[in-house]
Amino acid sequence: MARGPLENVRILDLTHVWAGPLATRILGDLGAQILKIEAPMGRGPTVYPTVPLGGFIGGEPGDEPWNVNAVFVKLMRNKKSLALDLKTEAGRNTFLELVAICDVVIENFSARAMASLALDYEHLKQSNPQIIHVAMPGYGLSGPYSERVAFGPTVEPMSGLTSVMGYSADEPRATAMAMPDPTSAVSATAAVVTALRMRELTGEGRLVEMSLHESATSYSGPWLIDTQLGHEPTQIGNRHPELAPHGIYPCLGEDNWVAIGCRSDEEFQSLCNVCELDIDRTWSLKERKSNERILDAAIANWTRDRSYKTIEDSLRDIGIPAGKVLDTEGMLANPQSIDRGFFVPLEQGTPMPGNPVKMSAISSEDWEPCPKLGEHNEEVLSEWLDFDPARIQTLYDEGVIVNRPPR
Amino acid sequence: MFKSETKTRVLEIGNFAAGYAGKLFAHAGCDVVRIEPERRKACWVSERAMDLFLHHDKRRVNTQDHELVEQLANKADVVVVDGESADEISSVGFERWQTPIRVAITPFGLTGPDRNRAATNATILALGGYSNLMGDPDREPLTLPGHYVDFQSGGYAYTAASACLLGHHEDTIDIGMLEVIMSLSQFTTVMWTCAQTVRSRHGNDFWSVVPTTLFRCKDGWVYINIVPGFWDPFTTAIDLPELTLDPRFLTNNLRMTNRDALHEIVAQAFIQWTRSEIQHRAEVARIPLGAVLTFPEVLDDPHLRERNMWQKIRYNDGDSVVSPRPPFVMQGIERDTLSLTEPERANDG
Repeated sequence: MARGPLENVRILDLTHVWAGPLATRILGDLGAQILKIEAPMGRGPTVYPTVPLGGFIGGEPGDEPWNVNAVFVKLMRNKKSLALDLKTEAGRNTFLELVAICDVVIENFSARAMASLALDYEHLKQSNPQIIHVAMPGYGLSGPYSERVAFGPTVEPMSGLTSVMGYSADEPRATAMAMPDPTSAVSATAAVVTALRMRELTGEGRLVEMSLHESATSYSGPWLIDTQLGHEPTQIGNRHPELAPHGIYPCLGEDNWVAIGCRSDEEFQSLCNVCELDIDRTWSLKERKSNERILDAAIANWTRDRSYKTIEDSLRDIGIPAGKVLDTEGMLANPQSIDRGFFVPLEQGTPMPGNPVKMSAISSEDWEPCPKLGEHNEEVLSEWLDFDPARIQTLYDEGVIVNRPPR
Repeated sequence: MFKSETKTRVLEIGNFAAGYAGKLFAHAGCDVVRIEPERRKACWVSERAMDLFLHHDKRRVNTQDHELVEQLANKADVVVVDGESADEISSVGFERWQTPIRVAITPFGLTGPDRNRAATNATILALGGYSNLMGDPDREPLTLPGHYVDFQSGGYAYTAASACLLGHHEDTIDIGMLEVIMSLSQFTTVMWTCAQTVRSRHGNDFWSVVPTTLFRCKDGWVYINIVPGFWDPFTTAIDLPELTLDPRFLTNNLRMTNRDALHEIVAQAFIQWTRSEIQHRAEVARIPLGAVLTFPEVLDDPHLRERNMWQKIRYNDGDSVVSPRPPFVMQGIERDTLSLTEPERANDG
């Protein structure tokens, strides 16, 4: 399994969809032992009615489509799988035995789900007073919205972000990235290590709340403070309040675009020289801001008939930031990504985004691919909990643990 | 602010990514010293607002004396530095410092052919696949306003450095912002590698789940995300239960095929209600819906207020603002009022 500074940390992972599994993938990349507790039907049925959004690893569903759903697999490296039905008494008891020997329980159910299973923090700490329970409900465990259904895309506009994102004030746009999910994921990893460090110092476990809504709102912090200081931001398209030019411009070919920005007067003058722009090169930032329409038109005139490669070669040498708007194929072919080995062909050779944290203690060469559903049932129950083979078989016979979906 | 970790010393050098990592360390009770940068990066808000958000409860020092910085680094447990290139990181003496845990955050990382390539957050978002998804199909792609790239990179830096503290492990950590962004996509990459589908821009429309987009209402906009399981309650919520029997909309695939017709029907329904009226209907029907809020409205949000989202920060000997607390809440930890102090000029003491 993955090595890393967190290799002595055991995490029980009850998360699903995106934010939670992404958080535990990051922690697994740092060496944490992640035990994914999966509902028997958690990966879907034995026969998939449609092709999932991201397709199947290897392109085909094969005999076990539930094990090759690409979107799921992408988030599951370096995790062990225990397929355990928490809605049964034996399943719940087994889970609590695991809680007794683990450090963290992390879940992103609705606010009421863990309590309805009698697995909320008050119950968990009876099994292990030092357990850290990270709860990630959409709107938190309390407050007027706690019962609301929350998905990343519907939470995003409530953070204020949509009020500054878009082509103009009359044309707000969503990010298309369900932004609260990745902000929650990274923030949840911060929550886990913070709680673990506090426990190291105090010996105390803790309930930690980490909501989608509050993570997105927290990232809006600078705007929220600026509002109190009398500034009112609005949608400004691809422009930037303190940079000009700053935009995304067309280049040669269908739907090819390049982002360009100048960070100083000197860069602006260099851009004018290289692009032979017919505008006043002595313009200050203030003058450039008040002439952005002219500036953007002039740059677009220069980029429109040139390939991205030509533009990049021209701007790179003079230190002006420029970046092609890439799709996945372009990202995979980026020489920088290749040189640093960012994409890892872990799942049947399929390149998967790697770990942006580079350090000597971790290496993708140690990584394990996504396990099959219930692949580690026997290993975990026998080695972690000392269950004998007969007891494990009973759990199989009663449907408490499975290694394929029941239907 | 926690009071239990005052022995951990963190030195922060740089702009917004290092600043965000330092903010999390300060929140965790560490002793954070910030070296103010020689040149501030362009910011989406006023300098004062960003300082209040990032740099409260830190000691701030103005110095460009590399020897002094090295002395401070050598006394720290963790140093987090961000820079515009690998060479800029080297130029401040990063490799010489004896700090047990050293973190460098740069646009492209410390190695590779682009290690010294110039970047802005917008060029990183373009190269990292985000801009390709944002905006309308027949118009230029959109970049993301704000400091998402910086804060996500700072978040990774904090987690990695804290993991090293937990594991009593000394290391040098190299974080490239482009890789941070490329690591944070849900299904875009596998759509291409496994299904040979290029995910592209569809405005506000999530495209593969219908209806999932932004709709105008009486007093603004709301976003709905009606995955198949929510279709029936959604039709009830908008007083159009007959839609469940409409052959054009029986399945998500059919709703995708007939999206324009469905969007028109939903638009006509929503325009007759206010955001709060629609929100109430969504709550009753238990469907996911969120209103577009302005920042003043976010500051007035009753849910956030009840959950003590706002931390008071004092500055200027008497002025104060509120700032959102960090995203996570540690049960049983009370937060003090925070304060922002002005940078001090370094001296031999």
